[in-house]
Amino acid sequence: MSEYKKPLPEMQPWSRAFWEGAKRHKLLIQVCTDCDARIFYPRKICPECWSRNLSWTEASGRGKIYSYSVTLAGVEEKFADDLPFVLALVDLEEGVRMMTNIVDCPHDEVSIGMDVEVFFEDVTGDVSLPKWRPAKS
Amino acid sequence: MSRGKLAIIGVGEVPTGRYSDRTRWDIIYDVCTQAVRDAGIDKKDVEGVITVAPQAQPRLTSEISFGKIPEELGLSGCKDVCICNAGGASTTNCLRLAEQWIESGLAKIVLIPHVTVHSTIPLQDVISFFATAGIDTQWEYPFGATFNGMLAMVAQRYMHETGTTAEEMASTVVALRKWAALDPNSMFYKKPVTLEDVLSSKMVSTPLRSRECNVLADGGGAMLVTSAERARDITDTPVYKLGHGGRYTGACNILRKDYFMREGWRDAARDALNEAGLEKEDMDVFEFYVAYPFNQLVALEAVGITEPGESGKFVMEGHTSPGGTCPCSTIGDACGRGHTGSGVSMANYIECARQLTGKAGERQVPDCRHILATAAGGSGMNTLMTVWGREIP
Repeated sequence: MSEYKKPLPEMQPWSRAFWEGAKRHKLLIQVCTDCDARIFYPRKICPECWSRNLSWTEASGRGKIYSYSVTLAGVEEKFADDLPFVLALVDLEEGVRMMTNIVDCPHDEVSIGMDVEVFFEDVTGDVSLPKWRPAKS
Repeated sequence: MSRGKLAIIGVGEVPTGRYSDRTRWDIIYDVCTQAVRDAGIDKKDVEGVITVAPQAQPRLTSEISFGKIPEELGLSGCKDVCICNAGGASTTNCLRLAEQWIESGLAKIVLIPHVTVHSTIPLQDVISFFATAGIDTQWEYPFGATFNGMLAMVAQRYMHETGTTAEEMASTVVALRKWAALDPNSMFYKKPVTLEDVLSSKMVSTPLRSRECNVLADGGGAMLVTSAERARDITDTPVYKLGHGGRYTGACNILRKDYFMREGWRDAARDALNEAGLEKEDMDVFEFYVAYPFNQLVALEAVGITEPGESGKFVMEGHTSPGGTCPCSTIGDACGRGHTGSGVSMANYIECARQLTGKAGERQVPDCRHILATAAGGSGMNTLMTVWGREIP
């Protein structure tokens, strides 16, 4: 495996569980056990009620594309080999939105509202990034 | 501060372009001395310097943060100095801080300068800076997010929801470059573009083509501000700040409920107009600094000039262009001026002063009395609106 040169997520103590989950190919969403808020991105305290009683729930891994852009130029050198790639916002069934890449899909077939499913790209031995591809069913 | 307490009494500016042979301090000297001379005051009467934080220029930022400008210029009457960083919204906040310094009695006259020289920063360093300025390093950056990419997604969604066509989107660039072509301080002076030029330019991040994205430029500007009362003693043509409104829309795109920022712009405009005691119909010019050309469409809808989805046709029909019924962004926004980092809002306010004092040359909107101006920072963290006038209503 060649060395991964692209930026890795700069984790915080309270987001570590998300990335540990990703490493095990599980998409975890933070949940406030006091007000039941679904929280993404993860915080140290619930942004709704400031509770510190936070836990995690596994997301279904299904979502829809809210918006996307096929990036063709104007990126840092470390991303240049990936061009063209699809940057996207995906709305999860759990009601939160993530920025990601859409892969395994011809670029002219990517569309707003498209059903997508998560998978995990093991970019290093320690880090896996959640990416999305067209839903199989 | 209630309406009409602050006034611009002098401005200075260098044209945007590429000044790789010119130092940043060379530009600071020029814009500051121009602003002081424009106001016709003695330099010792400048009692405060509040500088717009330059982006991607850490050494310059340190030098300015730690007080170098008043010393370089020999501003012997200066009582305090600071730098203000809110990205593209920095200048707006410099104005607000200046209001506080003036109203509290700390300073009677405040100098607000800005300089940015992008052309001597290695290209990859500029790209790297903007790759993480306003882009989250944990949740966005690892996926190859760029400013163009983030705004391209907004544009994609906007087209999807409103049915706006590629031609209508591209027409915003044509309109902005028409204004820029009339602006001797623009790098695109006398260089208009056609719809075909825009549509045939290289696709960068769908649906945005290269001419629909910004060109980075070097530039600098300065304003001198004081209280309304004092302004009348100094100049016959003070430019009054009449109202202000603002909304925080959020740092991360993924969390922005108001994805087009339409509600933020609308609410901020309402607050600014209420404070000024004016209506949008009283505005003679809209100086939209919304960075990406297509965002002009959102701004038009937010302010209520057109219904959502109809602004593209409105721009394409030429209403916002020179000679149009609704002049917008008379320096051409970042697209027409060249993007000077945190300096586009400075250029925008300087243009407000020019239009309201009848000094806008070929861009002059006849009998310009009131202007609504916008600013925003980061990748869309806020929506700021100010109303300016040549008289206090």
